[in-house]
Amino acid sequence: MGVEEKGKVPLLPSGVPVGSKPHATDSTLFAQGRPKPLSLDESVAFIKNWFRAQSLNVMAYGTGCGSIELGPLGTSRFDMERFGITGGPTPRQSSVLIISGYLSVKTLKRVIRSYEQMPNPRWVVALGSCTINGGMYWDSYSTIKILDQYLPVDVYVNGCMPRPEALIAGFKDLMDMIKRGEANGYIEYQNNLDWYRANQRKVIKDWNLPEYSW
Amino acid sequence: MNEFVQEIQARFEVLWSNPQRPDLMQIGVRQVNALPLLTWLKSNTGYFILNHFSAVDWIEDGEFQLTYLLTDYAARRSLMVCVRIDRAAPTAESVHHLWPEAVTYEQEMFEMFGISFPGSPRQGVDLLLEGWEDIPPMRRDFDTAAFAEEAFGFRPGRTHTNPRDRVAIAFGQKGFLHDH
Amino acid sequence: MTIENPHVEKETQLWVGPQHPGVTGNMAIQVWLTGDTIQRGITHVGYLHRGFEKLMERRKFIQSFPIVCRICVPEPDTNEYLLAASIEELGGITIPEKAVWLRTLVLEMSRLASLVQQIGGGAGATGLGAVPNWTYTLRDYILDSFEELTGGRVYHMYMVYGGVRRDLPVGFAERMEATLRKIEERLPYIDKVTFQSSVWRERTQGVGLTDPAWVKEMGISGPAIRAMGFARDVRRDFPYLAYPELDFSVITSTGGDIYARMEIRRHEVVESIKIIRQVLQKMPKDGPVAAPIPNVFTWRIPTGQTYVRAEASRGEMGYYTVTDGSDKVRRVHVRGASYVHGFAMAERMFEGLNIADLHPTLVSIPTCPPEMER
Repeated sequence: MGVEEKGKVPLLPSGVPVGSKPHATDSTLFAQGRPKPLSLDESVAFIKNWFRAQSLNVMAYGTGCGSIELGPLGTSRFDMERFGITGGPTPRQSSVLIISGYLSVKTLKRVIRSYEQMPNPRWVVALGSCTINGGMYWDSYSTIKILDQYLPVDVYVNGCMPRPEALIAGFKDLMDMIKRGEANGYIEYQNNLDWYRANQRKVIKDWNLPEYSW
Repeated sequence: MNEFVQEIQARFEVLWSNPQRPDLMQIGVRQVNALPLLTWLKSNTGYFILNHFSAVDWIEDGEFQLTYLLTDYAARRSLMVCVRIDRAAPTAESVHHLWPEAVTYEQEMFEMFGISFPGSPRQGVDLLLEGWEDIPPMRRDFDTAAFAEEAFGFRPGRTHTNPRDRVAIAFGQKGFLHDH
Repeated sequence: MTIENPHVEKETQLWVGPQHPGVTGNMAIQVWLTGDTIQRGITHVGYLHRGFEKLMERRKFIQSFPIVCRICVPEPDTNEYLLAASIEELGGITIPEKAVWLRTLVLEMSRLASLVQQIGGGAGATGLGAVPNWTYTLRDYILDSFEELTGGRVYHMYMVYGGVRRDLPVGFAERMEATLRKIEERLPYIDKVTFQSSVWRERTQGVGLTDPAWVKEMGISGPAIRAMGFARDVRRDFPYLAYPELDFSVITSTGGDIYARMEIRRHEVVESIKIIRQVLQKMPKDGPVAAPIPNVFTWRIPTGQTYVRAEASRGEMGYYTVTDGSDKVRRVHVRGASYVHGFAMAERMFEGLNIADLHPTLVSIPTCPPEMER
């Protein structure tokens, strides 16, 4: 003992040479199972998304009949504030736009205006069958049929009308999507603004909305 | 009610009358007599409330029907006055000076049927629609389904509105067992 | 006030709505202000226009039911009743005794739900947050009863031609009674923070005045006319369904202001509870709930026209229906209860109103935009 032979790796008491990876066959699994440290950007994004998801401000615009269920949802029985969802009085103070049902062309114009005034990040939750494919107003001359041609919809909640529980489920989905960083409708809207504008101009005949410079 | 119709008959020509219910009488008058009759009813009888005012499109007769419903709340009876006007050049006399709510009824009827009421304060101002370019939508010859399909389009997948087609999709072309 | 002429006030134009937490639904009021006093205002609607009347012309009689209840969201059953009653009158169908009582029950329940909601709306409009929390929950209990009875929470589609879809579930009367008792228990609390509160009285009394002279010119109805001292109620004046056999009183007041209109609603809640109890008590225990009707796919109704009316929580609602011998209606015109209130009456009330009182006034009339524009 005493002097170690050169070139010979000493053995640990278990018989494994020092410096070699223990249990070489299992080592890959073990190493990859550990949480990887996030880069700075990723950490910031994670925290940002987490905070965003926990404080949603719903714009006070009852665009259709689904807004009747926002009353029970906001008050004591279903109480959306326990999820961190609360009302925002104006577009500039809110982050979620609820399209509560059918949209007549006249309202669509106001909704677009309101949506474009909202600060980023902003999300759209669409309620009811009538926002998905027209619903029972499929042959109406006044309502639009497919909402996502005009606005980027993040979550659809179907039903006519959706119950408050369904709305809560929709909000939970939206919050999960925000946490995962998947609720990116507003980025899509900016990137494809020309396509959206073309669709909007097709149905809104007297177009006089301001052009924003974002 | 019949005595009251005779009282009207003594002043204006009543084309037809129909007691629909004990509390609802329907009469038809000529267009020239409409405004004098309504003015007389408003000022001299208990029928001074205009409950509702609308139009019906009788496209096969080439006429619009204007319907005024007046109610006497003291006697608890209503009188429906029906007036036929020409569909090709639809113009009627405005009654906004008798009833203030007629302003919006007339505004709506101009927008929805294209019936003009000269002198009505908001004639031609959009009430329900905005930037409408087609024929007035409540006319019978306006096809709303075709308009919706052309203007808005449907999401792909919603092509089968006939239940028989859905059966064909679910069960193949043969349909149900008893179908072939 | 301008520099050239200090006596002339500058006029400001302001849009209240459609995106505004204050307006009742999706509508807009365009007002011209000097200072904070409204000089004149115009009601703008059309944001909820769906063309119901056109859609009904394209649908068979039975297919119209799912869409008519969407005409007024807080109170859909009045629309169902009026469509059913007008088509039954033109088609010559008599509904059985039990269906008469069940329809009365549903109409009164929806009136109650709507009245309770309007009390909360009126209090919320003046900044009381607690009352909407109570009343929305109370309304939800009524909606639970609706769900049990009809299967639908907000839209019921309970009535069909010839009667109603189904009988009462077993034990419904007891559960409805429990709901009614909950509402009765809560009313003193609502009184304490609104009607008995000197602050709220100060805020609402003498504000949003209506002139009794307007009654001769316009078809005002509902709480708006009863707040001016006119005991006008369709349930009493033109009795329908089982209302002639029920004992209830028509509440009136003489204030003609926001307070009087809200007070009438508060007392009508009590009357409505009384009516529901009577209906559940006097209703025949058995019997058919619907009369047989012709095959709904081939049912044709001969030419005719009629006007049927009913009392909604906002006033008189009417359907003008024309048939032409085909299997679809020729024309339906919905005379919404707040058509006159929202346009002709409200535009007169706006004159001289403070901008801060605009919203409580609108809620107290009240206006329901979807029935004004269908």
